[in-house]
Amino acid sequence: MFHWIIGFLFIVASALSSITNFAPESLEAAEGTGRELTLSEAAMGEGIREGALQNQAIAFSVSLGRVICYSAFDPVPQRTFIYHNWYYRDRLSTKTRLVLMPPRWNTYSYIQLREADKGPWRVEITTEDGRLLRVLRFSITD
Amino acid sequence: MRWQDVIDILINSYILFRFYVLFRGTNVLRVLVAIGFLWFFQRISTSLGLVVTSWAIQGITAFAALIIIVVFRNEIRSVLQAKNLKNIVWGLPITSVSAPVSIISDSAFDLARSHTGGLLVFPGKEDLGEMVHSGIQWNGKVSKEMLMSIFWRDNPVHDGAAIISGDRVSEVGAILPLSHRNDLPSYYGTRHRAAAGLAEATDALVIVVSEERGNVALAKGQRITVVKNREELSEELENHLGIVSRQNAFLRRRIFELGTAAAVSLLFIGGVWFSFTRGLDTLVSLDIPVEYMNRDQNLEIIDTTINAVRLNLSGSGTLIKSIKPDQVRVRIDLGKAVIGHNTFSITQENISLPPGVLLKKVDPPNLDVTMDSPVKKELPVQVDWVGKMPENLLLVNARLDPERIQIVGGSKLLENIVTIYTEKVSLENVTKSGKITVKPVLNPASIMIAQGSKERITVELEVRSLVPNVK
Repeated sequence: MFHWIIGFLFIVASALSSITNFAPESLEAAEGTGRELTLSEAAMGEGIREGALQNQAIAFSVSLGRVICYSAFDPVPQRTFIYHNWYYRDRLSTKTRLVLMPPRWNTYSYIQLREADKGPWRVEITTEDGRLLRVLRFSITD
Repeated sequence: MRWQDVIDILINSYILFRFYVLFRGTNVLRVLVAIGFLWFFQRISTSLGLVVTSWAIQGITAFAALIIIVVFRNEIRSVLQAKNLKNIVWGLPITSVSAPVSIISDSAFDLARSHTGGLLVFPGKEDLGEMVHSGIQWNGKVSKEMLMSIFWRDNPVHDGAAIISGDRVSEVGAILPLSHRNDLPSYYGTRHRAAAGLAEATDALVIVVSEERGNVALAKGQRITVVKNREELSEELENHLGIVSRQNAFLRRRIFELGTAAAVSLLFIGGVWFSFTRGLDTLVSLDIPVEYMNRDQNLEIIDTTINAVRLNLSGSGTLIKSIKPDQVRVRIDLGKAVIGHNTFSITQENISLPPGVLLKKVDPPNLDVTMDSPVKKELPVQVDWVGKMPENLLLVNARLDPERIQIVGGSKLLENIVTIYTEKVSLENVTKSGKITVKPVLNPASIMIAQGSKERITVELEVRSLVPNVK
């Protein structure tokens, strides 16, 4: 039942943005505002199924067509935004703004892969004010 | 013509002139002239296409230096030993030391009056080294008493000849070659035959004092003549030694001779210089690496627009062909360089060339040098994966040890570098979890791994099976 709810919310989020997806794990209110926004999990993967990251890895074939950056926040004290900054060889390629809703929130962004994208990548997950939360490093290969 | 060329010609002309002064009158100079002619004929035969002739002459001239040293070792040694450095470098044989003619004449007739035999040798221009043997080095100043004592009967060297050079008795007891002539008077003894023998073979003048007849005779060339009195002997000696009455004529002749030699030396070296520097004009292009100097110790060269410049040089074919790589240098003075971009014009001042070679063009004429102060920066390392993972396997994670390494490089340069990537690592062979070691790639090459930081990265791989049907 729980997974069904997450799946539904992903569909709604996809309708709002083609590149941004957000998924509240629960609609319960955050427990107080004194708690800090915390990134509980972040990883790269091949896809999302039923709200969960599939085939987490650090090397992806370009033939997959896309690669996912998944991030889970717990807690989320208040509605806020985070950024997924995609860098190809230290050059900013894409910057995705993602909304987070209390009390917990899973969200992801992805890029479409082309032949020219082969090489080392990294995604920097930052808060709205630029605080670096996590760096995920991966490669796009043959 | 540059001032350096003038000095060049003058120095070499003087060396040639000194060579003439030192070896004049010896066979060395004649042989050198002969070798010069051989070289000339070799050039002619080469231009005419006479293969064997030119090859043979070339072989002879190639060994000429060796031949000169071996054959004329005595002449060379006598020149170098007999003269001090000042005489070798500077002295001119115009003011030769005059022999004390009157003392010698008096001594000869005193010896004759006392029926004491004597043999006095006055060398001419030729070297007597090959003819005179067993002489004892004396080197004493000529005096009547000394000459009398040398030929005193009880003196062990009284039978030999005394050789007089200038105002000194250089050798005593010298053995002279005997003449084999049949037309000499029968009463001539060994002393007269020795005097005749040396006079025949060389240009020396020999005074012989007869012990038996108490007379004085002179041997010069083929003739032996009895001298009647001291005045006649003095005149003969002065003629032979070229002094007193003929002093002015001698000086004029000597100055003319030396002046001619100096002029010929100058003309010869000038001709050689022109043949070297004014031959067929030849152009050549050389790529010369740029050298930097006077760099501030706190600054480093981060980048340059070029590493080498192309120089178009011209000069005579001989000079151009003889250019060695280390003779051409391009140097940039970084004494005034600052952090950032510095542009330098490459001019004649930056380029050193061999003498006689001219600079036609520099390509490129300008050079940009980027300078920076070296700093340390700790940077994360990322593996540069390539290739394709085997089917149904996923590279889930890679833990790096160390995760970050310290880099040293220019501050401006390091500002833009945020990740150090490893060498390319193929996924083809990654089939299971394990460890591999990889090297970081430092790009640009001017950055370095700091001392104490690891130069190799250990990567611990985590490999899992792929979950199929992902959408």
